[in-house]
Amino acid sequence: MHIQARDFMTPAWAVIGLGLVLGGSVGIYEMFFGHLFATNSALVWTLPLVVYVFLALASTGVSLILAFGLITKNPVLEAETRPLLIIAIGLLMGAFTALATELGSLLNMIWIILSPNPSSPIWWMGTLYSIELALLAIKLVMNLQGRHGVLDRPLAIATLVVAIAAAFTIGAVFGMVVGRPDYYGTFLSLVTLTAAVVSGAAAITLLRDQDALGMLTAKVLRAGAAFLVLVVAIRLVLEAGPLAEGTLGWARLWMLIPFVAVALFIDWSPRVFAGVALLGALGLHYGFIITGQLVSLGPAANWFGAVQTYQPNLPEFLILVLGIAVAAALIKLGQQVLTSEPEAAE
Amino acid sequence: MKYGMVIDQQLCVGCGGCTLACKAENNTPGDINWCDKITRTTGKFPDVQFEYVSTMCNHCDNAPCVKACPTQAMHKDENGLTVHDPKKCIGCKACIINCPYGVIHFNWEKPHEAWRDSEALVDGGTSAPLDLLAMVGGEGSPHANPERAATYPVMRSAGTVEKCNFCDHRLKVGLEPACVEACPSRARIVGDFDDPESEVNRLIATHGGKGLREELGTKPRVIYIRNYSPERHA
Repeated sequence: MHIQARDFMTPAWAVIGLGLVLGGSVGIYEMFFGHLFATNSALVWTLPLVVYVFLALASTGVSLILAFGLITKNPVLEAETRPLLIIAIGLLMGAFTALATELGSLLNMIWIILSPNPSSPIWWMGTLYSIELALLAIKLVMNLQGRHGVLDRPLAIATLVVAIAAAFTIGAVFGMVVGRPDYYGTFLSLVTLTAAVVSGAAAITLLRDQDALGMLTAKVLRAGAAFLVLVVAIRLVLEAGPLAEGTLGWARLWMLIPFVAVALFIDWSPRVFAGVALLGALGLHYGFIITGQLVSLGPAANWFGAVQTYQPNLPEFLILVLGIAVAAALIKLGQQVLTSEPEAAE
Repeated sequence: MKYGMVIDQQLCVGCGGCTLACKAENNTPGDINWCDKITRTTGKFPDVQFEYVSTMCNHCDNAPCVKACPTQAMHKDENGLTVHDPKKCIGCKACIINCPYGVIHFNWEKPHEAWRDSEALVDGGTSAPLDLLAMVGGEGSPHANPERAATYPVMRSAGTVEKCNFCDHRLKVGLEPACVEACPSRARIVGDFDDPESEVNRLIATHGGKGLREELGTKPRVIYIRNYSPERHA
């Protein structure tokens, strides 16, 4: 497809460009010059990490839905293979961008390969998402070249397995923390896997033509949201009982509202309620990631108080903007360059 | 050889000498203390009880930070100490999140940057920090201890964590950790847990003792013996 400069002179690209410049400035400053985030020695994973988890799980959800569609030979999803691959890759790159600003020294990432630690959930998370990205890229290249054959099904199955494992592993990064009872346990892996399906279905509903998809993803979104309501409700009940020392409880009643609304009313306006689901997923991740760190451990209680409070600052909000802007830029660019549907990309 | 430490709560007077000695020895940045304290205040006025627990890395046998580190930057050395290789640290902070004792710290900024300031507080009256550093010498800070460099960088990098390593540079040459040497009441004893005749094992055999948050299964190697009980001296 022939791309011209005027293809980028649109309001959508202007908004994306603004997000890239504002968020990118903060990201570059944070990585190379100084520290802007509202962190301290006892509260180290804040909004930028929440953004990573949110976007990575949304990408995982898109991959899961697409892989399931390809394995079951669903004609609707098969027809959407290329756009969905672009969405999954874009969201994952947005996630990696947010993570890069959160890491102190990006170049040291090479040690993940040279000095691996298989007992570390973060090592597994990094490895699984690297494999996930490679699988998505291979599938996109094959799709662009029109190569289909014996590898299609094994690749789809591999993507499904890796995506499920990756979503579980993000939960395990928190669930294996023995010293923080708000994190500890397998429950968060259930939350992250369910949230991945919900946010992936929401991203597809928001970004793709519903006529083409025949409301398929809206149905997945409704079912996923209903299940997430059940998961959060179970957590609320568990946290209403006696709690282990050092537990604050991260589940809140407000977390149910977006998913109840999606489960009940998505037919009214699928795109609006897909947006509600994404906001709900972001709030859910924010809730458990931040709450799990608020109880200060050891001497940190002297310096920061027994229980901390946290409010994201402007630079952290701009990393949220950056992650979404990178994802949006890649998705839009992919749709403009690799598909012939600029109106859908708009 | 398996290093460990015993802290006698009856002997500890809460002077904070260990914290200051550690800071000087290890060149820790202003807001980072490898050796620190937990203060526990219980009861209601006038029946208030105050407990001071001197603390640092517990060098756990089953260290959650070592398990969580994706790159083996946090690892066990040949003497069972939990040590950190800053070259392998990617700044993910998994060790900080996983440490149940809150004793691992992150360098959000380049440490000791204040010493690179070239402006004097009083022009013509005081030295600029950078001038003072040039006159006194020292890596990054006039207070830097060059002996620290034997096993760990004197100046740490932004974007990496740091923590107590039991002054492994001192242990290697037969000296005690700085906190142990500085303690005026000998409340801190370091020794070999593998040697049944060592003082640390003798103290534990005599007084019992308990590590912090042992219920988590971390098997800490800093063991606290006895309780502070002023009535013993009344």
